[in-house]
Amino acid sequence: MKKHAKNGNVAIIGIGQTSFSSHKEDQNQVEMVQEAVINALADAGLKIGDIDCIVHGNMELFEMQFAPDLWHSLGTGAYGKDEYRITTGGTTGATLVCAADNLVASGLYGTVLAIGMEKLQEGNTTGGITNMADPLWFRNLQTGALTGTTSDGACAMIFTSEEKVKQGTKNPPVWIRDHIQVHREETIPNLFGFNKPEMTHHCAARTLFARNGIQDPVAYFDVFEMYDPSAWWAVDWLREFFLLKGDEHLRMLEAGDFDLDGRIPINPSGGVIASNPIGATAMLRPAEAALQIRGDAGGHQIKKEVRHALASGFGGTFWTVLMILEKELNWQEVNHD
Amino acid sequence: MATKRVAICAVAQHKNGSDLWHKRFQGMLLDVLEELQAQTGFTFDEETGVNTIVSCSDDFFDARTISDNGVADVLGAQYRGEEKIAQEGLNAVGYAQAVILSGYADLVLVMGHCKESQSESRRMIANMGFDPFYGRAVGLDNLNAAALQARAYMKKAGLTEEHLAGIVVRTRQFAARNPYANAREIVEAGKVIASPQLCDPIRQLHAYPVSDGAVGMLLASEERAAEFTDRPVWIAGFANCMDSYFLGDRDLTANFALKQAAGRAYRKAGIADPRKEIDLVEVMDAYAYQQPLWIEGLGLCGDGEGARFLDQGGQEKYRVNLSGGMLAGNPVIIAGLYRAAEAALQLRGEAGERQAPDLKRAVAHSTTGAAGQFHSVLILER
Amino acid sequence: MTEYFGTTVADIFATMPKRFKPEEAKEVDIAIGYEATGEGGGKWKATIKHGTLKVETVDGDLTGCKTTIHTDAETFVGVTLGKIGALDALSSQKLRVAGDPKFLMLLLPKIFTPYAAPEKKPVSVTARDIITTIAERFRPEKAEGVAMTIGYDLTGEGGGRWTIVIRDGKCAVRGGLADPLTVKMTMEAKTYAGMMLGTIEAVTAFTSGQVKIEGDMAAAGATAKFFRKYVVPGATEAEELISLRVTNAIEQRFATGPVMGHWFAGLREKKFLANRCPKCGRTQIPPREICAWCRVRVHEFVEVGPKGVVTHFDIVYFASPDPLTGAVRDTPYATAYVVFDGSTEREAVTMDLKKEDIPRLKEGARVRPVWAEVTTGSSRDLIGVALDEQEESL
Repeated sequence: MKKHAKNGNVAIIGIGQTSFSSHKEDQNQVEMVQEAVINALADAGLKIGDIDCIVHGNMELFEMQFAPDLWHSLGTGAYGKDEYRITTGGTTGATLVCAADNLVASGLYGTVLAIGMEKLQEGNTTGGITNMADPLWFRNLQTGALTGTTSDGACAMIFTSEEKVKQGTKNPPVWIRDHIQVHREETIPNLFGFNKPEMTHHCAARTLFARNGIQDPVAYFDVFEMYDPSAWWAVDWLREFFLLKGDEHLRMLEAGDFDLDGRIPINPSGGVIASNPIGATAMLRPAEAALQIRGDAGGHQIKKEVRHALASGFGGTFWTVLMILEKELNWQEVNHD
Repeated sequence: MATKRVAICAVAQHKNGSDLWHKRFQGMLLDVLEELQAQTGFTFDEETGVNTIVSCSDDFFDARTISDNGVADVLGAQYRGEEKIAQEGLNAVGYAQAVILSGYADLVLVMGHCKESQSESRRMIANMGFDPFYGRAVGLDNLNAAALQARAYMKKAGLTEEHLAGIVVRTRQFAARNPYANAREIVEAGKVIASPQLCDPIRQLHAYPVSDGAVGMLLASEERAAEFTDRPVWIAGFANCMDSYFLGDRDLTANFALKQAAGRAYRKAGIADPRKEIDLVEVMDAYAYQQPLWIEGLGLCGDGEGARFLDQGGQEKYRVNLSGGMLAGNPVIIAGLYRAAEAALQLRGEAGERQAPDLKRAVAHSTTGAAGQFHSVLILER
Repeated sequence: MTEYFGTTVADIFATMPKRFKPEEAKEVDIAIGYEATGEGGGKWKATIKHGTLKVETVDGDLTGCKTTIHTDAETFVGVTLGKIGALDALSSQKLRVAGDPKFLMLLLPKIFTPYAAPEKKPVSVTARDIITTIAERFRPEKAEGVAMTIGYDLTGEGGGRWTIVIRDGKCAVRGGLADPLTVKMTMEAKTYAGMMLGTIEAVTAFTSGQVKIEGDMAAAGATAKFFRKYVVPGATEAEELISLRVTNAIEQRFATGPVMGHWFAGLREKKFLANRCPKCGRTQIPPREICAWCRVRVHEFVEVGPKGVVTHFDIVYFASPDPLTGAVRDTPYATAYVVFDGSTEREAVTMDLKKEDIPRLKEGARVRPVWAEVTTGSSRDLIGVALDEQEESL
């Protein structure tokens, strides 16, 4: 197993969300993006001039806007800055967090702002999802895979280097310890045969925990913000993410272990079932996990202290992203010369 | 020890064509993947192989939500990490560099594909890149936005019909020596000048042809590069920059974003005077007038001196677009990746009949959006 | 009755006869049952027959209705007013339709004009209410260096006489008319209130002589910018929100390539041609260029099926539109995951199942393909699968 080794530590220092609603006729796409960016900057106590690079993501065909970062730049504040547009479907928001982590850890950029958005109301979402299937084969069979609620909204997060954190931050930094992304081929039906391959969630969790020396994830983590597109998947996936056996996850569920005052609370934010602006959804998971660590989750702050948080993203044909957030810099594997 | 440099270890290109109707883009990517593996012997082993793939494609051009989903298998992404840089191939190289410098990966596979011929019209797609309220309604697309820029720039730089024809004639001479280029027929200046106006002053032969293609690269950390090649090409610097969205908010001939991107990339590469330190340039010239305009933006000649640059042999001095450039035909979203591929091949001494001698440092350039709203600049060195 | 979004469920049914378009309903013969649960809810039945409409409340069961709609009162009002998306309500199961929802969604807008909530009576605000808040609304940054006294003589109900004094970045309102005044404006109190509330255009009021001005005309015109707009307490400012409706379509021509092409050629011959990985033996349907697991090119084709086994299935009640044709299919329908005979055990394929077979569908059921009458080499050659009676009867 490869050791986890980052060349620079990266902290989340700003989080901004819009409200999420199935009806946001009062804002166009640019204005909605800008609202999230302004909120994130205010949260971080920064100005747009403090940002070195913007990372933008959403799903083009949902709004039917080609290369949307070009128009959205009016709201993202990308003018004059470096910018990357990265998309991976439902996982986009989580991938943006991974990308921002990479960009800062690389030393190429000091402070990076990531923005995920979707204005699902502006397109036919289910049609968009169906367009995901191979046009030659599966499209006429696939029905709307979209679960959760049709939502408009955006989420922005600001990431910075350890060096910059040392100069002081408005709110406590939340550290990204590690992340992993696991993709797979385009077909879903071959997950529903007589025997099933290891689930991507399990593969991600197994690899991530092993390289970070986490033996007992249920004991280690204080909260898990999971991308739960539907209630039944959420339950099933807990087994995979926590590397549980048999029906252990069901017994834990019955024992209240996943309740907000349980051993490992799941989705105090309400999760994806509560709102699903697709390009932002997977970013909201680490954003909400970070707020829990900061103690800034307001009405949905869980009671116990949150020091170690887990967040996941889901999309594509069972693609998964998993990341570990920490209150303290508690690992030693950073490469220094 | 943290890696300090990233190498391009191998480059593979699918031949560009105007209508590769007989091939799915999956098949095109697979050809590219197999060639990269043949060159380097890399694997997808969990310990020692590629675990991160940076792809480049676009949902509109593929007509698929999550365009990377349809190609995950041929990218080798089964149970591996994959990230899609949407619509800007050169950014994929810049981002892949960051992934390696961050320590998350020591090998990254970069793979881009696009078939412009699949859609009824690439201009319809470009039109959807404008805001739905104003830009689309007035019928803007990349061609007519470029024509506004072309007119303004020709006036500013004293660029004539003959200059534009000369660029196209030279493009085809080099494209004829590039087996991966699309438009490889030699043309005479008279034919260029007689070709129909698409959007005055842009004539048909001033514009790149509809193109299908796929291109890939293997990138490695400094520590691992020697496992895959004895001719690594190093990334010395990368940067990009966004300009204003509304055309009316920009001086279309000022190269604001390109100058910013180039300046940042040069600083990272430790280049104080690009005119003395750059040996070869690949610019993304979707239209003939853009070649001298972007050359100005890269600082290889002064503002408004593009025509003089052409007259004084600047193209040969800086070995501009020996691949034939984008004018010879690459799909728009991965044209930047093809630029980087050519620059890397030239530095490796693998550019065949079009090989330039004595190269140390090269620039690959890419642009996205109407009249160059966004620019990326990659500096490579031997 | 409980109001939702300012409207009751009963309001909506009470206005139904007025909104009915008999000429559009000449061919219609249907009884629709409505059940709205929760406060302000109830049961209604609308019988539409050859251009006539009968709306009645129902106490017991909704009998004799071809289609029934079940929802809570709030969702019902919300959907009717467009405050809640009908598709959202359907997909979240807050609104359920027994019968054919597609038919209803097409029919109802055709035979009824949309329900519009009755205009709310405007909140009554007098000139006195407005003018006495003027000091709070003062914007000193807009009145730098301004020194003036403005007199208002407002006649009629809610009127009176006031003087507004602006000096040294401060503003005060006093009763009565001071002397001297920079400008004096005389008008009816209701004209002043109308101008302030935006129901009367100021320019028209001035030019039509409804406002009499004595003194400095320019000063009279300048006063507006010194104050923020008056907002009725508790009122939200209405904005006109315009949505742009566009259908974007770009025609595509998808290449099948040699591998997928082989599959379609097989369908034309009513054969399932999977391709088999040379390394792990996996059979892929539809065939792909590569085996994702082994990362090797796959060349060999093998015929599988035509019969197979259902491993999983779902039954779809809320169908999404087919993106290729825009058509919404009949519900319910079943999607079955089928492993064809001769396929490797993981390689299930998604298949539509014949509608009549849904009640007898179970995991492990044997199925056979149902082919189109004419097969041309496309995914439409295969209509779906049906339960295999031959094997069922064994």
